[in-house]
Amino acid sequence: MIRRRNGGRRRRWAARKRGHTGLSLTSLMDILTCLLFFVLKSFVAGGESTVPPPGLTLPSSSAEKAQASSLVVAIQKDAIYVGGERIASVAEATAGTQLLIPVLAARVKAARTQMDEIAMQRGRKPQASHLVTIQGDSDIEFRLLQKVMYTLDQGGFPDIALAVLKKA
Amino acid sequence: MNVFIVLIPMLLMSAVFMEIRVIEMSAPRSGPATASAPVERPLELALRVRGDAYVIVGDGIAPLSFARSAACRAGVIDADTNHRLIEALAQIVAAHPQNHEIRIVAESQTRYQELVSLMDLARAAGIPEAALAGAMEGA
Repeated sequence: MIRRRNGGRRRRWAARKRGHTGLSLTSLMDILTCLLFFVLKSFVAGGESTVPPPGLTLPSSSAEKAQASSLVVAIQKDAIYVGGERIASVAEATAGTQLLIPVLAARVKAARTQMDEIAMQRGRKPQASHLVTIQGDSDIEFRLLQKVMYTLDQGGFPDIALAVLKKA
Repeated sequence: MNVFIVLIPMLLMSAVFMEIRVIEMSAPRSGPATASAPVERPLELALRVRGDAYVIVGDGIAPLSFARSAACRAGVIDADTNHRLIEALAQIVAAHPQNHEIRIVAESQTRYQELVSLMDLARAAGIPEAALAGAMEGA
């Protein structure tokens, strides 16, 4: 028994001498702990974590209210997006004097119908009003924002949340 | 192992830690709609954004005008204007504590950042609800 144990130790020593070392669990654990903290820190604590589309600079504000889960309408300098899908260019949206943007209205009405259908399927009553979050670029003009907000109101989303970056 | 030691700080540095917050509000009404005022708002407090001035107006309040610099038009309200606007609004809040709403009447070219800054200063002055309204052209 003793001889066998000694033989095993010798084999391990010989293997180490040849350069075959096993994976060190301690180091792996350290790496995993670092990665875990990294992932945890990437998510915003509390509220919905949504990242604005690249190229969009949100306005900075001292607002404290956390973001809730909702439909997201992004207004970039060149185009309007609903849930990541490009709907209209800014030039199209600002053309004309009427406040309603027809393409956007059609898209948000479809989203509203879909939300109501999902609620019905889950056995719940459709909500009277739905929340929509606007992620607008800090440089956009009020006339565009006004048109988008009016269209969202007409499309069945009267409750609007403006996404902002918390001031440091 | 060394590669990981380099990679982890690199990943941490490249990650953007942004805290997104929201300002809740209702959809803006156009000029004529806001002119026919709802009855439940007796003060009708409004902050009008004009070419070179911010004007605070309301029922029974003498209009107060504040200079609007080029920097303000670009979206950055300077500390002095910011302070004076907060002070003026705070005085109105002290005189009319029942009022919790202000309308920000913007021009069509007003930048979004400027509107958000105006909402911030209204909140700092003690008016939690800000509504956006469009100014009538030529008004």
